Amino acid sequence: MLSIAVPLHNEEDSVVPLATAVREAMEPWSRDWELILVDDGSRDGTARLAAAEAARDSRVRLVRLARNYGQSTAMQAGFDHARGDLVVTMDGDLQNDPRDIPRLVAALEAGGHDLVTGYRERRQDRVFTRKVPSWVANRLIRAVTGVPVRDVGCSLKVYRREVLDRVRLYSDMHRFIPALAATLAGASIAEIPVRHHARQYGKSKYGLSRIAAVLGDLLTIIMIRWFREQPLTLFGLAAATALTLAVLPAAAFVAKVAGYLESASLVVLSGVALCLVGLASFLFMLGLIAESMLRADHDTRALGRVIIRPVAP
Amino acid sequence: MPDRLEAGPGQTSTREMISVIMIVSERPEPLDLLYEEYVSALRAAGYTDLEFIVVAGRDDRRLVRPLRRLAREGEPIRLLESAHSVGDATLLRSAFGHCTGGIVAVVPAYRRIEASGLPLLIRRIEERGADLVVACRSQEADPWSNRVQRRLVHGLVRRAVGGNFHDLGSGVRVMRGEVIREVPMYGEFLRFLPLLAAREGFITEEVVVPQHPADRHARIYSPGIYLRRLIDLAGVFFLVRFREKPLRFFGLFGGSLALVGAVLLAVMFVQRLMGQGLAERPLLLLAVLLTVIGLQAIALGLVGEIIVHASARHATNYRLARYPDDE
Repeated sequence: MLSIAVPLHNEEDSVVPLATAVREAMEPWSRDWELILVDDGSRDGTARLAAAEAARDSRVRLVRLARNYGQSTAMQAGFDHARGDLVVTMDGDLQNDPRDIPRLVAALEAGGHDLVTGYRERRQDRVFTRKVPSWVANRLIRAVTGVPVRDVGCSLKVYRREVLDRVRLYSDMHRFIPALAATLAGASIAEIPVRHHARQYGKSKYGLSRIAAVLGDLLTIIMIRWFREQPLTLFGLAAATALTLAVLPAAAFVAKVAGYLESASLVVLSGVALCLVGLASFLFMLGLIAESMLRADHDTRALGRVIIRPVAP
Repeated sequence: MPDRLEAGPGQTSTREMISVIMIVSERPEPLDLLYEEYVSALRAAGYTDLEFIVVAGRDDRRLVRPLRRLAREGEPIRLLESAHSVGDATLLRSAFGHCTGGIVAVVPAYRRIEASGLPLLIRRIEERGADLVVACRSQEADPWSNRVQRRLVHGLVRRAVGGNFHDLGSGVRVMRGEVIREVPMYGEFLRFLPLLAAREGFITEEVVVPQHPADRHARIYSPGIYLRRLIDLAGVFFLVRFREKPLRFFGLFGGSLALVGAVLLAVMFVQRLMGQGLAERPLLLLAVLLTVIGLQAIALGLVGEIIVHASARHATNYRLARYPDDE
């Protein structure tokens, strides 16, 4: 079965056209499918219209969140309620074209991949506020995550259930699903071009202000990617750096005491050295705490964190 | 799922049982009189299926004695006692485990609102589908010092955490059982329970009820109490805004400090290249200190992210709307 999960937040104009477009796109599809509309605490008529769609068509289901949680959590709710062994995600604003879904699934199955993501070939967006920031973001995210995905912002993706079982979304992590899937689940990822339409209804919920937030999230991804299993390595290295830096003022301090330096202040030199030593010990202790927290986390002991499959000899 | 019902005096058959919890602490009034007031108000409003749970620390045992007599006489009172003196929120949390009612009212052991206000709160849950209702004392007869404090405090709360409450200190709340089960509560966060519940997606409301005449006295506390409340508020602020993204909070704070420190260091480095000495300047100490504190904050934020990441795999981090097909 194929589940199509769509988070919706204040998209009352899009709900009916979206359901219709999905139905039409899935018409030639011979297998079972379901459309899961996740209402992310909309304040307009989204939930009512989605409920009406669900009442009209048994293949459409509504998952209604108690408040607005944000796209990542809404997607996770969609995953949790999806019954399919393949799950497609797409935006609720009709910028993605549901006719691409069968192509995505075909690419996934033909290539034996775990995740196939679309990239928008001819993007219909404003250049300066949307295209340029997203070009920069894509470059940066690619460099940091090491996952060669061209278009991080494209929501149209298909996943195997095994991937979703190993990755849980929270905060704003939906942008990093490919990175998380590769890091946490060892997923094999492919990309195919998909159609992109300009937004027809409603307002965009993105803007330049997100850049700082994305940068912070990137730092988290670095942390998760490289140091998830051994945070003490990261903090230990940082502590060693601080300690090394402390050598210089400490040496100057000794030189001053021994009478080799004229103009230096003992208070300043010792203060700088002690600050750095303090930083080093703080970082090291923090690393120990992080390490013991991970040991307390049962999942590190769970089997099958990474997807592995037998290959033909 | 409980039936939604048309409430009115006398219609008790389909109603949920009401549990009233009273924590005995601070300055309790004669508890038997207080009990009579609340229970007669509830019964007059048609709530006959109720239980009254009184929780006390061991030191307050003698205060509960009159209630023991009433319980023996067949009144629906259950007395719970803790062997140690623990905080109110801890007592309350333990008391919740003994509740059987679908709707739980929490009242203080002293008079804050007219008892006749309590049924109004319960009715709001039954009729309007609210999950948690806070009593807001009407303030016509309250001393001006109380009014000023309340405005200031709730203005601060609104700015820091959001919500639109005007009297979190009334101590009177009525809620559905699921609020208790799903909203984490510990320490002194009881006061901010409505904010935390709203954050979890529960429908929270406020109902204005008459203030009890005994409550109309000026309340000036010691500075320590104000400080504790402020610290609690800071905790709630962090939990509500940044629980899932600690690095955004620590990163913003630490990043700004480290940036200032780095700029100072860069300036001094350039000056050093131009011949000015470095080792005798106290400003160097400040710059290093700022950088160090900033880096420490960022590191703490990263550890926070590890905690969130590790715990996210174990728990569902959202709640579904209660009535899926409702508008």
